[in-house]
Amino acid sequence: MTGKLNPVLVNALIAAFCGLMLMWFSHTFQYPARTAADTINSMLYYPELPARELRFLVQAADNWMTERKNLQERTLVLEQENIALRTALQRSGVNPPQSSPRLLGASVTLRYPDAWWKEIRVDKGSSQGVLAGAPVLSDGFMIGRVSRIGEDYAWIELVTSSTFLLAAVVVDTWDLGVINGDDIGNIWLMYMPPEEEFSEGMLVSTALVGDYLPPGIPLGLIVGPGETRDGLTPFRVASGARLAQLYNVQILLSSGEGGSS
Amino acid sequence: MISLAVVWMLQDLAQVLSMGVLLIPDFFLLTAAYGIVSGPLGKERISIWIWLSFAGGVLWDFRWTAAPGLSGLVNSLSVLAIYAVWARTPVTGRGVWLFALLAGMAHLTSGMVHYIAWATTTQTAMRMFLAQQLLGIPALALMCAVYLVRLRGSDV
Repeated sequence: MTGKLNPVLVNALIAAFCGLMLMWFSHTFQYPARTAADTINSMLYYPELPARELRFLVQAADNWMTERKNLQERTLVLEQENIALRTALQRSGVNPPQSSPRLLGASVTLRYPDAWWKEIRVDKGSSQGVLAGAPVLSDGFMIGRVSRIGEDYAWIELVTSSTFLLAAVVVDTWDLGVINGDDIGNIWLMYMPPEEEFSEGMLVSTALVGDYLPPGIPLGLIVGPGETRDGLTPFRVASGARLAQLYNVQILLSSGEGGSS
Repeated sequence: MISLAVVWMLQDLAQVLSMGVLLIPDFFLLTAAYGIVSGPLGKERISIWIWLSFAGGVLWDFRWTAAPGLSGLVNSLSVLAIYAVWARTPVTGRGVWLFALLAGMAHLTSGMVHYIAWATTTQTAMRMFLAQQLLGIPALALMCAVYLVRLRGSDV
């Protein structure tokens, strides 16, 4: 009887039955089935390693592309916002700056201990297009302006210097004042009207005082009032830049400046 | 038979690469189908192919599916069906088109059984099943090309 059975059919049926039994076994006894699966996965760990690493690489590249795309979209939104703001400025009668200033990176090469809060020297000068009076920034905040220039260096008068005087505006109230330092690391907003109330955290930025200095450059945030004298209250301003430690700064150049001597 | 192991490993690596994105076509089953039709139809040889396809299916299940034994079951029955039709077809009728039909049907059946076993009818599952079957077409074409090359080689 068994001699008439096709061995191929018998083997296939046995294999199919084994498959069915395995399915039943793994469904009924999950622990040994999971152990077997874990064992096989462990055995395949090293053979699969190149494919897994390649997959991670592709994923990382994909993530980088996505982030780049998001940044490009963000830049586009900011550009559109900038255009809208410029249009609003023009409609309100304020002439937006026609030039497109750019920032020139510079390294601090000298800072005297006895004039720590007064001035610094940087490694960029007239040959790089630096002009006297140009604002100098760090971390997006104005920290001083160019006071003296050499061919390959420039001295920067810091906002914390007692000789530094600059017209400034409280952005929230549009009240004008004068920024002044005290040679010991503080920045003060002077000559503010006593009837106005200025709360902590209000932004102070440069006012429109001339072509050489663009308005709207952040100077710092109001911390609190000082001692009232002659009916005027100075307000202490905290710079957003780390004035105590300046290693690299940016000098704002107008269009057409920089790169040529 | 070594080629069957190599194909299993390549399919595994391809599935690692495409994990979570798509299901890789069952190159292993297609290779098993090719193995059946590309040699003599001796009962011992075919029985070995059946058990090899079963073993490969079980390994695949332990690695990639939650139902160990299912691929082994499907593979062994698919190989049996291919053998049964191929052996009953006159030699003159055994050609690349018949091979394509049998291997394609086996691949489709295997995919459908797994799709039904997922016990889910989400669009994502359906898309993955369809993508697997569509990707299986070039894989099948490749197998047919290999079969044709072998056929011409044996004619010379």
